[in-house]
Order: sequence, then C-alpha cells, then structure tokens
Amino acid sequence: MRQYFSNIYLGVYSVFIGMAITFRQLFKPSVTHQYPYEHSFEQKKNVRDIPQGYRGQLFNRIEDCIGCKKCEMICPVDCIYITTEKLPKGERLWDSMNVVHLKDRTEIVGMIEGDEKIEADTTVSIQTRERGAVEIPSEQVARVVERKPVIFYLDKFDIDMSLCMYCGLCTEVCPTECLIMIDTLEGIEYSTFDRTNLIFKFAKPEMYDKPLDEAADAEAAD
Amino acid sequence: MLPVFQQFVQNPFPEFFAQAGSENLSQLVLEFLRSHVPFLATLPDPVLQLIAMLAVCVIFVAVVPLLPLFLVLAERKVSAHIQDRVGPMRVGPHGVLQTLADGVKLIFKEDHIPRQGDKILFIVAPYIIFACSFAVFAAIPFGKSILVSNLNIGIFYIMAISSVVVIGVIMAGWASNSKWSLLGALRSAAQIVSYEIPIGLSILAVVMLVESLKMQDIVMNQGGLGILSWIVFRTPFTFIAFFVFFISAIAEVNRTPFDLPEAESELVAGFHTEYSGMRFALFFIAEYANMFAVSAIAATLFLGGWKGIIPGYEFLGGTPGFVIKTMLLVFVMMWIRWTLPRLRVDQLMNLCWKYLIPISFFNILGIGIWVLIFQNDRNPAHIGISLLIIILGIIGAYLVLGKRSSQSPAPRASSA
Repeated sequence: MRQYFSNIYLGVYSVFIGMAITFRQLFKPSVTHQYPYEHSFEQKKNVRDIPQGYRGQLFNRIEDCIGCKKCEMICPVDCIYITTEKLPKGERLWDSMNVVHLKDRTEIVGMIEGDEKIEADTTVSIQTRERGAVEIPSEQVARVVERKPVIFYLDKFDIDMSLCMYCGLCTEVCPTECLIMIDTLEGIEYSTFDRTNLIFKFAKPEMYDKPLDEAADAEAAD
Repeated sequence: MLPVFQQFVQNPFPEFFAQAGSENLSQLVLEFLRSHVPFLATLPDPVLQLIAMLAVCVIFVAVVPLLPLFLVLAERKVSAHIQDRVGPMRVGPHGVLQTLADGVKLIFKEDHIPRQGDKILFIVAPYIIFACSFAVFAAIPFGKSILVSNLNIGIFYIMAISSVVVIGVIMAGWASNSKWSLLGALRSAAQIVSYEIPIGLSILAVVMLVESLKMQDIVMNQGGLGILSWIVFRTPFTFIAFFVFFISAIAEVNRTPFDLPEAESELVAGFHTEYSGMRFALFFIAEYANMFAVSAIAATLFLGGWKGIIPGYEFLGGTPGFVIKTMLLVFVMMWIRWTLPRLRVDQLMNLCWKYLIPISFFNILGIGIWVLIFQNDRNPAHIGISLLIIILGIIGAYLVLGKRSSQSPAPRASSA
C-alpha cells in the first residue's frame, strides 16, 4: 500500500522536476545559426576558435608575387594556373622595394630613405609612388618586408578551389611568402550556385596601367 | 447599412452582446439581424432563423480549421525553444506563415489511395474523425452567449461525440491495408476506450458538485468569488479530479507521452500512415482541434470557463479570458510532450487501470461525502477548508513519501 502511494508521489514529483527543466530550457537562447543569413560564425560563443596555422582558403598578395610558377609546379592536383608575359630584356615592372607594415594593419609601399634597419624613436621617411614622401614615427612600424623586383606581367593567376586539396605545399615553396592559407573562418564559405565561382582569380590587370611609364616613374623617383 | 457598419467599426462589441436575452450564438445573430439589418428584418421568421444558423455554421467552419494553423506553429516554436532551436524561420517574419505554406502544399499533393485497401472506408474515415472533433465545439461555451447550443446534456454529449472518433481511427487503420496502420488503430482504440473511464469519472465528480450537465450551468456555478470559486479549488477531490482529467485527456487526444498509436519510431505514423494530401490534413486538423477542445473542456469544467479571476472584474474573463485559459492548457500539453518520453503499452495500461481509475472512484466517494456535508453553497469558509486540505495534503505527501522514496531504491515509477 505504501509502495502504491510512493509510486504516485514519485511519478508526479519526477514529472514536475522534468517540466521545470524543460521550462528553464524554454528561455535559454537558442544555438542555431541562421546559416545563409548569418555568416559571422566567430561571434557565436559556442564555436571554437580556429587554431593558428589552420589550412584554410588560399590567398595571394598579387603585389608581392614574382610569377616564379613554383606553386604551379608543386601543386599535386594542378589547380593553380599561371600565365606570365616577360618584359623586354632589361626592363622591370618595378625594382626591389620595401613594404612597411604598420601596427594599425595598413601598409605603405615604397623605398625607405637611409638605413633599412629602423631604430626606436625616430621618424621614417618613405618614398612612395602615389603619395611622394611619407613620414611615419618608428613606433608605428610593425615590420618591414622586402618586395622583389618584378620582370613579368602576371596575366593570370587562378586557383581552382574546388580542386584544391589543402596540402599547403604551394605556400611552402613560395619564395616571397605571398601565397598563404587564411586561418580564419572568413574564408571557409564556398557555397555558390556556379562552380566557376570557385576559381579564384588573383591577377590584377589594372596594376599594369601604362606599365612602361610607371616603371619609368618608379625609376625616376628612385 | 452604412450607419450600422460605422457603429460596428466604432464599437465592435456593443451593449447588445452583453444583454442576457440571447442564450446561444444563433439567437444572438438572429437578434442582431432583426435589430441592426433592416432589409433582412422584413423576411419571414423561419428564413431569418435559417440565415442565423447558417451564419453560425460559417463562423465555426471558418474558425476551427484556423486553430491548427496557429497551434501547429505554436507547437513547433515551443518544441524548438525547449530544445534550444529556433523552429521555422523562413516563411514570413519568424516563420509565422509556415503552416499556411504547409497547408497549401498538402492541398496540392497527390491524394493516394492504397490499391488493396478498402476504398470507401478509406475515404470516409478522415471525415468521421474530423466531424466528431468538430462537433465537440457545438457545446463549448466561449462566453455568456457565445455558444452554439446550450444543450441540457452538454458534457454528456461531448463525451459521447468524442468517443466516436475511435470508430474513425479503426476505419482508417483497417482500410489502409497496412500492418502499421492497423496496429496503430488497435492501440488507439485500446487507449481511448481505457482512458474514457477516468475522464468520465472525473467529469462525474464535477457534475455531482454542480448537479447539472449543462455546460453553461457548470460555468455559472463557478462565478461570484473569482478564482476561489473555480471548481479545482472548491473541494480537494475536484483538485485531484482535474489532474486525472488532464492526464486522461492527453491520452485521449493521443499526444506524447501517450502517443503509442502514432509512435513514429515503432509504427511509422500509426493509423494515418497511408494517408496523403488533404485527407492527411484533415487528420491533422482534427488532432489539433481535439487538443484545443479538450483543453477548453478542462478550462470550462475546472478553471471557471469564461468567468474572471477577480470577482466583479472582467479580468481574464469573457471570451478572451476563456481562450487564454485554454491556450495555457494547450501550452502545458506541448510542454509535457517535450518533457516526457513515450510510455510502453503495459505502462500505459498500468497507469490507467491501476492508478487513474482507482483514484477516480475514490474521488467520487469523497465528493459525495463532501456534498453531503457542506452542500454546494460556495461558502468561502468551505472553500477555505478545501484549500487548507489541498495544501496540507501536498505538504504531507512531501513529508511522508518524499523522504522515504529518496532513501529506498527508486521503484519503477509509473509516470503520471
């Protein structure tokens, strides 16, 4: 008899406990990503951070690319397509230059006047093509990278990301470190209605407007 | 016609509705037509009455299928948020038009009839189920005169008509010529027939207290003291009867944890496995209309119907208050659905025959003694005694059974 009432009590009690739990769940924020509308995965707290060195989408800083085709040659699946056109002998698109990365994540391209080693608490003056001489306090400078001289027009630098197997060999052989794999979730989005959208085109023909004049200008600026 | 329209726009609920003259909706419409629509008032009386009745029919035929439209969405949203999801979000703002889109899809779907099945029964079954769950609405009082018919056997009629659903279920299961359908239908029949008994007995407790089967009388009996005069709190036995009724009602409308007839993991979809298109939609509408009807009956019998919470005020009273109470009970049904797992068949029958029915009989005995001693005079002192017994009973159960059961190894709990 006691067991009988105990059963009733337990049944009712456990139902109420369960209902309290579900009622609390009712007011918890949901964990759903409204995927095609919400791209900002990073802002959701329940997504883990991407580790450093993650092999994500390929990206090429075409300004630094010297068209050596090493990446095209080493690619195991042949998904990189490069065509270059050589300049007449002795001519260059631009000479070796400095790329000054600033701490606010912008960069200035030009020649550093004087010593390339930057000392603390001085101002650095940089000769640029677009803006002439620029003066920057040295504490703003993050690092200085050398830009190699370019003797090719890069007509085409395409990577077919639908073929890429993310081995990362191309980034290892790149002599100028301009071909990199992005390690953020930004570059994880590949869904598209047309497969040709996955062929990433990095070449910028607009870089070569009036190529000879520009080269001459650059030389004159030096 | 224009002034009437203007008046209706300015004051949609004129004093007219508050008059005590009309007893049900068709009378109300009839009086409205007579007094406010001059060109119809010249028609002979029987024609006018026919128009009024047809108007009431149209109102209900239009409103009842709209209920699932809202309830299905509510169910999906509630379930989603309980499981930390968001539910349908695409069709309309926050997915409010999702069920409308689903309904349109169901209308355009192929209406498939199994070749080996019994064609006539297969076609008739959904209409029987739909008509029965629809007919229940005829006796539910939504307001003082918002009632299709104030039958003098109101609650008895509701019980009778909602039992006919079983026939439709068995017809659907048999005619489909599918083992899943037949198994689901037989389970459903066993379940509904079993759970009719505790439902009937807990309704009987209320009827003994009120001494009337009329729905409107039961509501009227709960007025005067606001929330205290609700039948749930009137006696400790009706308090128990409310829970017995609600549990059995969930079983009656085949919802989780009593959804054995349509257990997806065992029986595909139970008795409506073979149905598609509009016939399936009819089952769906019937299911959700049933859910609403059962909650409305619980609200009418135990929670004061359209009577308000505070005496003298209309707060949570009238038709809106009644709908709010009903929707709260519907929400509790959804809440339970997403809390408890499905029962086994033997557990289902255990719960009914070993727990709910003995408790109901005990209730009948108790309520008889209560009526004998205190009469049904809605005396505040008697209600106070009742509340005291309810609270002491809960505390006593906690003290006596709570400690004991936490020490001993938990017996197999039959969830109630």
